Amino acid sequence: MRPTNLDEALAALERPDAMLVGGATATALLLKNRLIEPGCLVWLGPLAELSGIGELPDGSLEIGATTTLREISRSPLLRERTPAFAAAAGEVGNPRVRAVATLGGALVHGDPRQDVPPVLLAHRARLEALSRRGTREIALADFFLGFMECALEEDEILTKVTIPPRARWRDAYHRFTPGSEDDYPTVAVAVSLLLESGVVRDAEIALGGVDASAVRAPEAAAALIGSDGGAAVASEAARLAVASCNPSDDQRGSAAYKAAMVEVWTQRTIASCLA
Amino acid sequence: MTLHFILNGEAVSAEAPDGALLLDVVRGLGRTGSKEGCSVGVCGLCTMLVGELPVSSCLYLAAMADGAEVWTVEGLTERDPALLEAFVAEEGMQCGICTPGQVVACYAMGLDEPDADEQEIRRYMSGNLCRCTGYVSVTASVKAYLASR
Repeated sequence: MRPTNLDEALAALERPDAMLVGGATATALLLKNRLIEPGCLVWLGPLAELSGIGELPDGSLEIGATTTLREISRSPLLRERTPAFAAAAGEVGNPRVRAVATLGGALVHGDPRQDVPPVLLAHRARLEALSRRGTREIALADFFLGFMECALEEDEILTKVTIPPRARWRDAYHRFTPGSEDDYPTVAVAVSLLLESGVVRDAEIALGGVDASAVRAPEAAAALIGSDGGAAVASEAARLAVASCNPSDDQRGSAAYKAAMVEVWTQRTIASCLA
Repeated sequence: MTLHFILNGEAVSAEAPDGALLLDVVRGLGRTGSKEGCSVGVCGLCTMLVGELPVSSCLYLAAMADGAEVWTVEGLTERDPALLEAFVAEEGMQCGICTPGQVVACYAMGLDEPDADEQEIRRYMSGNLCRCTGYVSVTASVKAYLASR
């Protein structure tokens, strides 16, 4: 189904077997593997009101849910305000996937190996969900409930993502792909730091690929606050980050290897953020 | 469902089951240049343009192309003869199965990053796999095409 406005999209969702798609790249994979059997796909891609990138007067950044990863990676505004987010969107898959896959889809899919979720967790992003009951705001930190499970209700549409003002914040993201560069990351680390005269005043760290969903590493971030983020404190923060995740063995590495790599890449990503 | 779209500049219609993929619909219309490779959006064999954007047609729901302009290797090489000339001149193929996707990706790169240097070509084209590993000649072909535009 191709609704022409949000009201029609909400009406389409009243069918219990309806499923929303943004660009349907992940959905096509799930369909091919017969992991899902929706009665009806509702394509939100063409809805102009769900697409676009803007800055509010207070410096917050608003990105519509069906904005494609391609648009995010090429946005001059995002590349300026949050280079790690734009870069992470530009590292998903290949140009063909990025041309079609949407921001909302990358979040709702809830795949722990996606690149965008850790960066947006590190940016304390908030989501807006629309239903017949009204709109509600969900902190991304409360959004992921488990492996491919998120807090969006059956009758809700994810409409936009808001990133709080980035003035004086720096960010960095690294994806570690020992197998092949275009693989899903074995470990991904996002770091966001508020710097004042060389001192870290606030910090957020998030990890991808090492738990049932992207996860925050609050103890690691707290260890940086009040410091210069230098090697000694970054090393301690990296050690603490390992305790925030719960990696499992798979073809991208053993749990022990991933835990060791979380430490290595957390330290490197903090250093990149301050470089 | 009945789909209507523009394939290589020509209005076409096709009957397709719900959930049909663009690759299968286009091949069903006799345009078999685009191949099915990995089926998971990684290898690039099935690259097509929808509008001006490159897509993996093995992951692209045909219903989303309803009303759109779709281009495959057959149409693009007619639309721009320099495309094939570059691949022939630089011998940008070995066994040939990845070539239709490489050619479409090359055309897309001409739209997206016409001034790309060799490293940018390698990065952009890295989503199109050649298992003969003929990347040097593919890169040279893309470079020649971009220079011809």
